[in-house]
Amino acid sequence: MDQSRKVSVRAENIYKKFGNLEVLKGISLEAREGDVISLIGSSGSGKSTFLRCINLLEAPTSGDIYVGEEHIKLKKNRLGKTVAVDRKQVDRIRTKLAMVFQHFNLWSHMTVLENVVEAPVHVLKKEKKAAKDAAMALLEKVGIADRHHYFPAQLSGGQQQRAAIARALAMEPDLLLFDEPTSALDPELVGEVLKVMKDLVKEGRTMIMATHEMGFAREVSSHVVFLDQGIAEDEGSPEYIFGKPQSARCRLFLSNLI
Amino acid sequence: MFNLEGYGHLLLEGAKLTILVGLFSMVIALALGMVAALCKLSKIWILDFGAGVYTTVVRGVPELVLILLVYYGGPTLIQDASGFFGYDVYVDLNPFVAGSMTIGFIYGAFATEVFRGAFMAVSRGQIEAARACGMGSVMAFRRIQLPQMWRFAIPGLGNIWMVLIKATALISVIQLPELMRNADVAARAIRKPFTCYFVASLLYLLITILSLVFQQWAEKRASRGVRRE
Repeated sequence: MDQSRKVSVRAENIYKKFGNLEVLKGISLEAREGDVISLIGSSGSGKSTFLRCINLLEAPTSGDIYVGEEHIKLKKNRLGKTVAVDRKQVDRIRTKLAMVFQHFNLWSHMTVLENVVEAPVHVLKKEKKAAKDAAMALLEKVGIADRHHYFPAQLSGGQQQRAAIARALAMEPDLLLFDEPTSALDPELVGEVLKVMKDLVKEGRTMIMATHEMGFAREVSSHVVFLDQGIAEDEGSPEYIFGKPQSARCRLFLSNLI
Repeated sequence: MFNLEGYGHLLLEGAKLTILVGLFSMVIALALGMVAALCKLSKIWILDFGAGVYTTVVRGVPELVLILLVYYGGPTLIQDASGFFGYDVYVDLNPFVAGSMTIGFIYGAFATEVFRGAFMAVSRGQIEAARACGMGSVMAFRRIQLPQMWRFAIPGLGNIWMVLIKATALISVIQLPELMRNADVAARAIRKPFTCYFVASLLYLLITILSLVFQQWAEKRASRGVRRE
């Protein structure tokens, strides 16, 4: 990979246990500016968990995470659970890593516009008027500016996910994390969300996504990681992974999709 | 229709006091309920345990017993205790304060469970989305969890209010001139128990019906943005 670009995020040797269940068994990943990394693999392979470890929605059992040059300091508490040494640090780095969720998770008591304005105003302490203007521009970009005064429940899944993407972009993040952004959508609504995501790739955004959309992953990724039972079983360029991957499991996974 | 022989104003005065006692008790119940619910949901075991003791004990003892215990038992306990240390203290509790504090204390235990359920009903994803944007836990609570919680809490709280307003009638045993007590006084004075208690019933009913209207308005407001099937 191109070593001249700045590192956005680096995860080293991430392990995650839920009780006795070991979901991640030592995964490492580095995303440099402009990278589009797809995590593929069957359900339960650990894609989502790994993604959620990057912004510490799940605290890794062990391993290190660097955002930019900054190491996120973690420690074990008395019960042996991993916790942040400095919660403020975690809150701060999260503003740079925006996440888009499978189930959108738009705040249901706020309109679309209020959803997009909320964190810039209350977390980033932006001026209200400026945040509103920026939000409207983003809603325009994802094609739902005309719905800005609607509540999430009044929108289709595709529209909700596009609003959620606008909410993520409003943080002006260095990196976007997508956690199976189209998996909860009706098939006819997947396209409109992928189109918005493709526009983001064209802008040169740095993205890591867990996805089941193989065609999309193949088209836009700079790097693809195949996860299987908590390890990075195989990884490489999309041509390599979707062409002739070394891993037999990866070949089996891809052949079963058709 | 009903000739109350000049005692009508007494019943109205009583109804006014009933509403006041009810509101005062409800405010205490809501405050206690909120605090205890957060204790129950906290990861600090001693808080969880303390709130558990509170709800278990309070919900298990009849209101009437607690009212008498606080109003009559409280002062004697304090006097005996201070006497033991050589002080001579005379305590006289105000029936309004003692009564509504006791009712509030009791219904706070019921409100605890309503709030706890309501907080748990707010989906995990709503809070995760807030944390993922860099909100700290306090801000996520204030901006996201709290406003969404009310939608789930209001039906249960409305129910508590209905029961609570009727439970204030028990405070009549400590001579507070609320609706029940005054109806009793009027009934004895003019020897018309049916008329007086019936009018009192109607007044209670009026209060609860008006409460229902308020509740519907509040429910609608708290459900802003949520499609009702």
